[in-house]
Amino acid sequence: METIKIYLENMFMNLPNTPEVYKAKQELLQMMEDKYQELKSEGKTENEAIGIVISEFGNLDEIAKDLGIETCVEHAVPEGKKLSLEEAKEYIQDMGHAATGIALGVMFLIISFVGPIVADAFADAGMKEELTDMVGAVSLFLMWALGIGIIIYTNIKKSKWDKMQHENYVTEFSTTEYIQRQWEVYKQSYATTKTLGVVLCIISFIPAIVLDAVHSTYITDSMGGAGLFLFVGVGVFLLISSESRKGSYMRLLGLNDPKSVGGKYTVDQKKNHQPKNPVLRAILSVYWPTVTCIYLIYSFLTFNWHISWIIFVIAGVIQMFLNNLEGEES
Amino acid sequence: MGISSDVIRGYNDTIILYLLQREPSYGYEISKQIRQLSDEKYVIKETTLYSAFNRMEKNGYIESFAGENPENGKKRTYYQITDLGRAYYREKCEEWVLTKEVVEKFIQ
Repeated sequence: METIKIYLENMFMNLPNTPEVYKAKQELLQMMEDKYQELKSEGKTENEAIGIVISEFGNLDEIAKDLGIETCVEHAVPEGKKLSLEEAKEYIQDMGHAATGIALGVMFLIISFVGPIVADAFADAGMKEELTDMVGAVSLFLMWALGIGIIIYTNIKKSKWDKMQHENYVTEFSTTEYIQRQWEVYKQSYATTKTLGVVLCIISFIPAIVLDAVHSTYITDSMGGAGLFLFVGVGVFLLISSESRKGSYMRLLGLNDPKSVGGKYTVDQKKNHQPKNPVLRAILSVYWPTVTCIYLIYSFLTFNWHISWIIFVIAGVIQMFLNNLEGEES
Repeated sequence: MGISSDVIRGYNDTIILYLLQREPSYGYEISKQIRQLSDEKYVIKETTLYSAFNRMEKNGYIESFAGENPENGKKRTYYQITDLGRAYYREKCEEWVLTKEVVEKFIQ
């Protein structure tokens, strides 16, 4: 029976995942199964039964016209571009690790500011400035080295999956179904993690307010700033790791997208929707780093941490506006 | 010598509609009946059968519904003939009588 399923899987492998194709496959499998069972009950051996079923299956060209997939039968994806279940599992796992890696790296970059802030506070409180400056600077650069190091390492490790970005891959239905189930399982913790991340970012200024209200000294003031970076750092960690993990599931599930009928495979879908205008494109490419810089510079100069986060809200609105300025279609 | 699938292709619909006229049925059951009634001389391919179902359903000659085999309880897609299908069947029968008449004049 497995042999028949595999045979049918292979016949259908390069076809798009449309409802019509799915139905055809289910019906054909049903007929083949029935015939196989009957042949077995008539006393045929396993091999004889399989042989007869496959020899009497016919030709997919015959149904291609009915399913509107003639072009796909002719111009099917080249051989060797199938993503097996094992590869899909490996991809999910590797991308999970990469998500954690990148998120960890970014988190280190964000919380790198905690060291100098705390050190500065101790200096204000009366400790020797040479010592605190040194400790602050060393911790800052250590964190940066750690963060950048992790990001580079992760990118090198996951570069083996770069092929997923620019080659046509298809998966069998069973693989897609497996990934779908895995995603359903992960969805719950994705929602929890993402929510936690957002909440942490939003409440990041609370330590500053609370400490300020309770007892304002040099130490507590800067602890508020340090707390903000810690909250945002952990929040961003949760956001990035959950989002990119989701991305890898969506990528696999998008491989046999029903929209890819008629030879329009993933490369078409995955084309970056960038604005045509080169100036706008240039602005958008450096948009968020610039916003972050403005946020940090403004916040450090004024120490208005309790309100400066609103820069991100404004920036978000402006970005939406910029995106709509010119149709996203490229 | 086996039967030529090119020649019989035009009458696959007729054969299937004849069987569905008797009672609603499903894929394998129909292919089995075709084999038996033709004394094992015609074995219809699965893809041919599915293609015919698909086409005739689109033309409104047959309708499909989810049914259960009363004997073993297996769930199958059943097909039943419509009035349009019955009319089409009659038409094809007349066409065949005429075809047979003509072709036979040239058969020794």
